[in-house]
Amino acid sequence: MYDLKEVEERVFKEIQNVSEDKKTIITKKTPLIGGESESIIDSVDLVDMCLSLEDFAVELGFEFDWTSEKAMSATNSIFKDAGSLSKEFIRQWKEN
Amino acid sequence: MFVVTGASKGLGKAICTRLIENNVQVLGLARDTSNLSFESINCDVSSADEVRSVAKLIRKQKYNVEAVINAAGIASMNLALTTPSAVAEKIVQTNLLGTIYCCQHFAPFLIRNKKGTIINFSTIAVSLGLKGESIYAASKAGVEGFSRAFAREMSDFNISVNCIAPGPIKTDLIRGVSEKKISKVISNQIFQKQFMPDDICDLVEMLVGDSAQTLSGQVFHVGGV
Repeated sequence: MYDLKEVEERVFKEIQNVSEDKKTIITKKTPLIGGESESIIDSVDLVDMCLSLEDFAVELGFEFDWTSEKAMSATNSIFKDAGSLSKEFIRQWKEN
Repeated sequence: MFVVTGASKGLGKAICTRLIENNVQVLGLARDTSNLSFESINCDVSSADEVRSVAKLIRKQKYNVEAVINAAGIASMNLALTTPSAVAEKIVQTNLLGTIYCCQHFAPFLIRNKKGTIINFSTIAVSLGLKGESIYAASKAGVEGFSRAFAREMSDFNISVNCIAPGPIKTDLIRGVSEKKISKVISNQIFQKQFMPDDICDLVEMLVGDSAQTLSGQVFHVGGV
């Protein structure tokens, strides 16, 4: 079974898999989309990453919802950075 | 499997029937599916939550979605000045936002396959600017604009997005519209005749076929304008 740290690392790994520079070190502050800093993935890769996270969620026994109002929110988007995405992924995992 | 909205009547039902005749597995969505003899789920597409729930169910059932046909729609033949705001909101909510919600929640199934077809429905009222249909036309003009931009967003995943814009097809949607008005609209088409649901089904068949996969971001006017 996975612990919190391993789940977070896996989320970061999925981000890294679709990032333009595969050598990028993913941290909680790594911007994804819509932030002021330069994003490391484009929208197509973002969708691919979400589908990979859906698969990982199935492995963990829950359904990852990345199309919720919160995910789409401009100010509190789960796609703001790697930290917000992993936090939301873990929150949904724990809720289920 | 093909997901078809508006499956309980009109064009949606005709499309489902044709697809089933062609041995395509269909999942019909409609507000009331009690009269349907094929696989269907109650869903009001104007509710993002209901559409999301259907997407969850599809995921759970592991259906392989190959195409999404957004035929759900409502019309109100009325002058803009005399259309209550609640009716205007309902038209936009169902026709435009309903289409957007279905695309948002069902497209990820096609993305997984890196292949698929989305067909949205517009109307001849957009290109003709028909009097008495301004709000309906506005909602469908939104569908056309959305479809053209969404087609570009989906192109990276090998998914085509097109619109069909019929004239006055013989369905429940235009029941109550006078023959005179129908004739006037038809007189603006290139082929000046009233088309039947079967004609729309023929076009749907073409668009979901392999030979049409180079077509995307287009609005097809049945009868021509």
